Amino acid sequence: MSSCARELFVCPHCDAVHRAVVLSRHEVAACVACGRVLARHHSLSVDQLLALTLTAALLFLIANSYPLMTIEVGGMHTEATVWGAALLMLHGWAAWPAAVLALSMFILPLLQITLLFWVLAFARFGRRAPGFRGLLVTLHRSRPWSMTEVFLLGALVAIVKLSSWVHVTPGIGIWALASLTIVLTILSMVEPRFWWTLLRAHA
Amino acid sequence: MDALAGSRVITPVRALSVGLVACRTCGLVMQRRPVPTPTTFCRRCTTVLRERLPRSAEHTLAWLIAGVILYVPANVLPVMYVSGVGGGEESTILGGVVSFWRAGSWDIAALIFAASVAVPATKFLALGVLLWTVHRGSDWARKQRTALYRLVEFIGYWSMLDVVVVALTAALLKFKALGTAEPRLGIVFFCGVVVTTMIAALSFDPRLIWDMGANDGH
Repeated sequence: MSSCARELFVCPHCDAVHRAVVLSRHEVAACVACGRVLARHHSLSVDQLLALTLTAALLFLIANSYPLMTIEVGGMHTEATVWGAALLMLHGWAAWPAAVLALSMFILPLLQITLLFWVLAFARFGRRAPGFRGLLVTLHRSRPWSMTEVFLLGALVAIVKLSSWVHVTPGIGIWALASLTIVLTILSMVEPRFWWTLLRAHA
Repeated sequence: MDALAGSRVITPVRALSVGLVACRTCGLVMQRRPVPTPTTFCRRCTTVLRERLPRSAEHTLAWLIAGVILYVPANVLPVMYVSGVGGGEESTILGGVVSFWRAGSWDIAALIFAASVAVPATKFLALGVLLWTVHRGSDWARKQRTALYRLVEFIGYWSMLDVVVVALTAALLKFKALGTAEPRLGIVFFCGVVVTTMIAALSFDPRLIWDMGANDGH
């Protein structure tokens, strides 16, 4: 393998071979054949990414410990959390969608935040995190199944839907969930290749 | 290696025809070993190196058919049961859209319609078109078809919206005297539609769109 092969990019959508270019601020490199975005400039340092990951962890904690919404009917009240919504259906045949919900809305986002923190915390001190390879592969594979943003929209629809019958109060959880969605989106815009070359660039 | 400077020419060189292979997980570009060879792994992330996803079209078609089959009970069976003071009522996905529309919340009706009806239907159609044109070896509108694939990839999980709404409603409406909500069997099938169509989209290798035609006989 020549060192030349390292500077090449192959578009995952159409197999076109490109030579890597240095991107400046706000620049995006797209495939000449099919238009897929191949690389995006981002100026986030390991420290900043670590800070974002910690923010995500805190927001995740808040989003899951405070109710997303509370409803009140004649002195009684019930509340829903991300975890609670999935757990409630976890009986009989409804266990199947409940498991998908729990995985995509709770377990996978938590796993991703944990993995990012682990990898970045070691990279911060110029070290390769134990299990680096397997963890990054897991991170990459689990990405399409992590759906925090869908949960956010679903919660908003549920609020509107229920508010036609009962009094619904949005809770702290929903604000945390909205912020978490933004932070996770920023983090997911960092392309996979960055993580693999993390140590080369910052050692 | 100057011939590979794809970003400057109109028709870029394709990895398959110059003996390169990119790792599907980490993107590392490596030279392909000569053909009869045992399985090779990516140097960087140890993923199995493949030029194309094996039997991609077959897998996509199988998952797509599964999705279409599940789509029928997902729409026919009720997804939720709501009991109120005046008795209980079961509602299907389309029924929910209609009741929002009648209640004047046309925006919510449109949102649920888009996520639960339009998105799966678009996925079926788009993946169907992609599979059919790939099967025929068509070189028609490659760029646009690749964009269509990206659309399928992007809209994929938004159909989970209704599952979330049902789960949250069921978690909240549990006042014995005044009203309760329970999930119904339709939601299981609906969730199945989302999962199978997502797997179908992930199984499809968009490079197949570009493979047929003049340059290489793949």
